[in-house]
Amino acid sequence: MRKLSSLLLLLVIPAWTYAQTDSTATDEEDFSMYENLDFADAGAKRFCTPKVFDLSPAKLISIGYDYQGSFGIDYGTASDSTWQSGPGNFSGAGGLRLGANIPVISKTNVVWQLGFNYARTAYSGEGETAVNPLDATLRSNGLTTTGIHTTLFKPLGEEKFIIAQGSADLNGDYYLDNFTPLQYTRYSAALIYGKKKSDRKMIGFGLARTYRVGELNYIPVMLLNWTAPNRKWGVEMLAPARAHVRKSLSARNILMFGYELEGNSYRVLRDNVNNPLGYELRRGELRFRAVWETSMYQFIWMSLQAGYRYGYSFNVDNFGSTDKEFFRGFFGDQPYAQENEFKGTWYAQLSVNLVSP
Amino acid sequence: MKALLFICSFFLTATLGLSQNTEADRLLGVWEPSNGKARVKIEKIGEKYYGKIVWLREPNDPNTGQPKVDKNNPDASLRTVPLKGYRMLKDFKFLGKDQWDSGTIYDPENGSTYKCIIKMSDNNTLDIRGYIGVEALGRTDVWKRLEVKK
Repeated sequence: MRKLSSLLLLLVIPAWTYAQTDSTATDEEDFSMYENLDFADAGAKRFCTPKVFDLSPAKLISIGYDYQGSFGIDYGTASDSTWQSGPGNFSGAGGLRLGANIPVISKTNVVWQLGFNYARTAYSGEGETAVNPLDATLRSNGLTTTGIHTTLFKPLGEEKFIIAQGSADLNGDYYLDNFTPLQYTRYSAALIYGKKKSDRKMIGFGLARTYRVGELNYIPVMLLNWTAPNRKWGVEMLAPARAHVRKSLSARNILMFGYELEGNSYRVLRDNVNNPLGYELRRGELRFRAVWETSMYQFIWMSLQAGYRYGYSFNVDNFGSTDKEFFRGFFGDQPYAQENEFKGTWYAQLSVNLVSP
Repeated sequence: MKALLFICSFFLTATLGLSQNTEADRLLGVWEPSNGKARVKIEKIGEKYYGKIVWLREPNDPNTGQPKVDKNNPDASLRTVPLKGYRMLKDFKFLGKDQWDSGTIYDPENGSTYKCIIKMSDNNTLDIRGYIGVEALGRTDVWKRLEVKK
């Protein structure tokens, strides 16, 4: 029996000793010993990340509502004589905003995200209706955008990086049960090359194909994410799409002031037998705003924004019998089917968001 | 005979346990997250694994000039705790097949704690996935093992 006990003791002691490996106390450790370390894998490289200090959190899932106050649209003279000119008044416009942005690949050397977006704008007409078909469809159908988007962040080293973005949106005067055919998908893209100079600053330049001003454009873009050394102020900018000054009240409480350019090209009057040609509404809005983002509970954040919505564009193009998109840019002289004055108003948007780790 | 069987089974169990520990303890060491802003030493306490910050690229708060503290911690009483030495990985258990789970990861940048699973893709590389609720709603960071400069 004593032999058996001794044998057991011999077997148990090494196992117990092994379990204690590296369970050192932590309180009074000399941390200087961790300064002169290098990668164990000689081939390993360091890569920059897509974030700087105190950047506003990325939204994994977002559910919100957007509302605009009363405004008017002055419909101009149309190339089609059946479209009357004159004022259209709206007591408000608003709708649901949904978004998802899920990281598919999140590695040191590549980050790839896929997302979904849905935006509904229902227009509440006021007074006389339907001075022309556009006014009628806004009042009865409103505007809807359903889309997918993707972003690829590719670090080229500790400083340099490339960002590629792409999106495909179906925009129109449709409801989900009367979906616009996929042939009317509008594609946007951007490619940016930049440098992350420190944990406080990343800057990049590139080119974008965009519909943010309503119609197709190819424009240069500039990315700047910067945080001041005191970490109370910063800038988040992807100009000309959006630019904000950021004030960090705390890690979970952020204020931002700036603007966002919002818009797209909408296929409208698709089912109107009197207007069988391809009409596209070029809606562009410039939203000057204050944004408050705060953590409600752990990873659930609320975002409240309010400001002035300036109507940049609400003109209509007619693609004619070819029914093909064309490039006008800022300097093209192709005539619109109808030029409208889109008047400004106040707006507010509230959303609840699940933010990314 | 019964005693011999008992000894054999005990020896077998102890050996298996030892080899599992050897595999599990591959997690021990000093690791660098992909942002390079910190170094984390993973150690073992009891049967669980913990990771503490042992080095910071920016050790002092630029506002105060003092060593950084955990100022974003939702628990106000912990906001003066130094970040160096802070346990940001907690309670990991070896799951087998190069995976450790049931733990959490703390992000001092925003004071949030996430569920976390660690996968060792090779002896010098960890895929650390912090997530909210389900693994799909998360982000993977790749950590590299460090060793003393040769």
